[in-house]
Amino acid sequence: MPGFNRALLATAAVALLATACTGTSSAPQASDDATKDVTITFWHGWSAPSEVAAINANIKAFEAKHPNIHVKAVGNINDDKIKQALRAGGPNAPDVVSSFTTDNVGTFCASNVFSDLKPFLDKSSVDLDKTFPKALQDYTQFEGKRCTLPLLNDAYGLYYNKDAFKAAGITAPPKTLSEFDAAAKLLTKVKGDSFSQLGFMPNFHGYESTTTHFAAQWNATYFTADGKSNLAADPAFAKMLTWQKNLVGSLGGFAKLEKYRASFGDEWGAKNPFHTGQVAMALDGEWRLGMAKEAGVKFDIGVAPFPVPDDQADSYGKGYLSGTIIGIPSTSQKQNAAWELVKYMTTDTDAVVSFANAIHNVPSTLDALKSPELDADPSFRTFLEIAQHPKSSTTPASPNGGAYQLTLQDFAFAYESGAHESGKVTDVAAGLARTDQQIDKDLAQAK
Amino acid sequence: MTSTATIPTGRRRTIDPGLRRKRRREALRNLAFLSPWLIGVSVFFLYPLISTVYFSFMRYDGFTAPTWTGLKNWQYVFTDYPFFWPALRNTLWLVVVMVTLRVIFGLGIGLLITKVKTGAGLFRTAFYLPYLAPPVAATMAFAFLLNPGTGPVNNILARIGLPQPGWFNDPAWSKPALTMLALWGIGDLMVIFMASLLDVPQEQYEAASLDGAGPWQRFRYVTLPNISPIVLFAVVTGVIQTMQYYTQPLVAGKVASGVIGGSGQQFEPGYPDKSTLTLPQLVYHLGFQRFDTGGACVIALVLFALAMVFTALLMRRGSGFLATND
Amino acid sequence: MTLSRAQRANIQHSRLTAAPIRLTAAGRAARRTKTLEWIGVHSLAIAAALFFVLPFVFVFLTAVMSDQQALTRDLWPNSWHWENLRTVWETPGFLTWWKNTLIYAGLGTALTLLSSIPVAYALARFKFRGRNFALMLVISTMMLPPQVVIVPMYLFWAKQLHLSGTLWPLIIPMAFTDAFSVFLLRQFLLTIPKDYVDAAKVDGCGDFRALVRIVLPMAKPAIAAVALFQFFYCWNDYFGPQIYASENPAAWTLSYGLESFKGAHHTNWNLTMAATLLVLAPVIILFFFAQKAFIEGVTLTGVKG
Repeated sequence: MPGFNRALLATAAVALLATACTGTSSAPQASDDATKDVTITFWHGWSAPSEVAAINANIKAFEAKHPNIHVKAVGNINDDKIKQALRAGGPNAPDVVSSFTTDNVGTFCASNVFSDLKPFLDKSSVDLDKTFPKALQDYTQFEGKRCTLPLLNDAYGLYYNKDAFKAAGITAPPKTLSEFDAAAKLLTKVKGDSFSQLGFMPNFHGYESTTTHFAAQWNATYFTADGKSNLAADPAFAKMLTWQKNLVGSLGGFAKLEKYRASFGDEWGAKNPFHTGQVAMALDGEWRLGMAKEAGVKFDIGVAPFPVPDDQADSYGKGYLSGTIIGIPSTSQKQNAAWELVKYMTTDTDAVVSFANAIHNVPSTLDALKSPELDADPSFRTFLEIAQHPKSSTTPASPNGGAYQLTLQDFAFAYESGAHESGKVTDVAAGLARTDQQIDKDLAQAK
Repeated sequence: MTSTATIPTGRRRTIDPGLRRKRRREALRNLAFLSPWLIGVSVFFLYPLISTVYFSFMRYDGFTAPTWTGLKNWQYVFTDYPFFWPALRNTLWLVVVMVTLRVIFGLGIGLLITKVKTGAGLFRTAFYLPYLAPPVAATMAFAFLLNPGTGPVNNILARIGLPQPGWFNDPAWSKPALTMLALWGIGDLMVIFMASLLDVPQEQYEAASLDGAGPWQRFRYVTLPNISPIVLFAVVTGVIQTMQYYTQPLVAGKVASGVIGGSGQQFEPGYPDKSTLTLPQLVYHLGFQRFDTGGACVIALVLFALAMVFTALLMRRGSGFLATND
Repeated sequence: MTLSRAQRANIQHSRLTAAPIRLTAAGRAARRTKTLEWIGVHSLAIAAALFFVLPFVFVFLTAVMSDQQALTRDLWPNSWHWENLRTVWETPGFLTWWKNTLIYAGLGTALTLLSSIPVAYALARFKFRGRNFALMLVISTMMLPPQVVIVPMYLFWAKQLHLSGTLWPLIIPMAFTDAFSVFLLRQFLLTIPKDYVDAAKVDGCGDFRALVRIVLPMAKPAIAAVALFQFFYCWNDYFGPQIYASENPAAWTLSYGLESFKGAHHTNWNLTMAATLLVLAPVIILFFFAQKAFIEGVTLTGVKG
């Protein structure tokens, strides 16, 4: 039947034509007038009611200073959604984006997803070295390209239940890992085939007890100078994994701990295991202070830097750093207006200090760190010190984002449980070497 | 199929103009009726399929323009991507174990419901209801029920004194737990088996029992042959559904691992330990989390090939499907 | 063990005449076996029913527990917190998810029916070259996992048409038929005798009018079944909204919203189970109203296929 054949030919033509339509929309130049009335969309990841209130207050203060710029804020946006929206572009894409993880800075800078901020910084005469601590500058750029700025900082430390410490007869927070292991064992109270109190949850699925957070205490180096994975070559990783496995064994074994972990409440909710007393010590970020107070925790909360390996005892005080990053998508049509918001939120000392106080994060500018308005809580000050410690470190950026961390984490899971879907895992060195290979292959695929 | 009319020689070229008009009208009519499908199949099936093949040879992250990389993506997926082969193995496990158990259980429940005399309607409703539960809701319910620490199931097992498996948190038990979830939603299979069991002619049973056949023999020689097309249908649709198995393993893994997003954890596909990975999840992982469009398209094509193999098998065995009564 | 013809006739006779049954020894044995069979079957049925119903019960019980208790191993709530349901209902976005899911399912079903019926009719009744090929294509697309074509489709909708962050990429394709609906309708339409349509055509009725006036009323059960299936496919869809609507919370559906509920609300199991309950409930309520259509529909797929 002729009609049918013609239809078939037409569809083939459409298909071929459509295949050719791919390509990206070219990024518009920042040509908008920031003094005209405009509405910009700001995506962020905060969702806890107190945090949302804090950022909205911050935005209100900005709008008061810039009455012509209206900000539409959307919260609870995680990185997947950000990447997706930026890929799609179009009128629904945001003008300012903030993200909790520094992982994707590599992707965002390398593929021009975020605009280069250098012209904006120059235009506003912002001197980076005078504004931000060095570590924060490091994790917001990739291979020389600056496409994000730090928006508040996170420092990780040791939280401990002072009441539990007293009951167990521990007088001071542990400074080295052997002191830590001993304390954890002392604080663990077995009940039946579970626990009534666990000293510390070392399992890698235990919220913030992750490979990267632990590895920071050894100042481990993830990549060689030419970008190859360094996990097997740097003895720090093997040491970290062995330490963790020993701790797991001494506290009751992987299976028993996993079962206990399954009974933990939501990490971000009121029933966080540290709040409820299910664990006596926890590795967590500075936000935990505020959250614990809000949850009405009854015991005395102690804060200290997380213990360091015995052979690095003089570097006590360091910790893992991370932070929220903020940038301007290159597809935005309102980049100049967006820059005003970014500049305000990242460099205006009052804004940084009040926001930091409100959500109990570490401020990200040198001026803010010295500000007398900053929360004077001594526990909070501990985190400020950790943030400024010269040996505090973060995880490096990479072209495929956090993929290398996922691969390392995958191996760590296999190692801690002793099992892998392809057989038993007992050899750390061989496992790390295999992990290196996988990371390198993934990076090659991403290039 | 238009029949070629046998026109006496000498008149072959002259076709009745009325007939030509009729044929043209028919052609237009066919086109009109079929047009939604024609557009649909070309825009939403053929075009993306060709695109997928095209992109499997390109490097495209969605931001910069695509570049040709030849077989690099294929080589990466088949040799370097650590999640690919576990996902294939899982699919095989699911096809062999989950589909089989579903068919057997569905047949069993269908049989049971035909034998129930009192309260048949009530039982039927109870058995069918779980099938209606939205997959996300059902999976979350089961993730809660099977929580190794606080779930009711382990609670009851503990009281009886039986060992309590880790269910969705234990790589050895996660797929059996998913299978239990699948058996819970057996309602659709129950109904079609029930209908087909009731369709078996009663006389055949009576004839068999007159010949001295016991219950098992009656089942084997009367019931099974009569319902075998339905069994085949259940198996094939079960396999097709397994190819597409996405929501339940993904939600189960997410909920069981406690990873919500925003914490220090990376999202781990196939928690625990890659045991719940399926190919569709990999398409999402590579395509929408890693932004490796090329790799995602390779996996999509593997998925397509597997689905087509089973479709071909269906065509061969169940050609009754295409019944052309006219 | 079945009764012999004589025994059955015996019982039949006694039922009709209301005379007491004269049981033979074999008859008594048969009666015993029958009772045992009844007990056996019903015990199994009750056990099975427990398996199917208990999860709903536990979800409900947990939904009304207190925060504290939901974390324990307890099965029965100490105190009944009905306000959990209120809390979930009032979660920002919950009503939006409802609205979006209704629009997606309702519009999607309507469009599917409008487009699939003519196509199914053509495939069932019209003769044309390539019809078998078209049918095979329909079946192939029926078997197609959506993930096979999602990557270029997403790029098409998001980059070309800028429709990501909405549910339109899911609704619009339904205006161009759904393979499963076409197949099911076609199979059913084949069973409608041609005489009715032929008679109408003799009277001068066109094909389209014949379809609408004569065939459709006879195809009501199949149409109802297809409508129900499509409605539930959309209602339960998780993958589609995850891909297209995730970046815009205003476009989330119930399935996606429920899964994100834990992250968005920072809650415990009791609230999550309450949310699960509220997502399960409408489906169950609809079932009770549309039972017959449901069962008929499922039967149609299996038995006629």
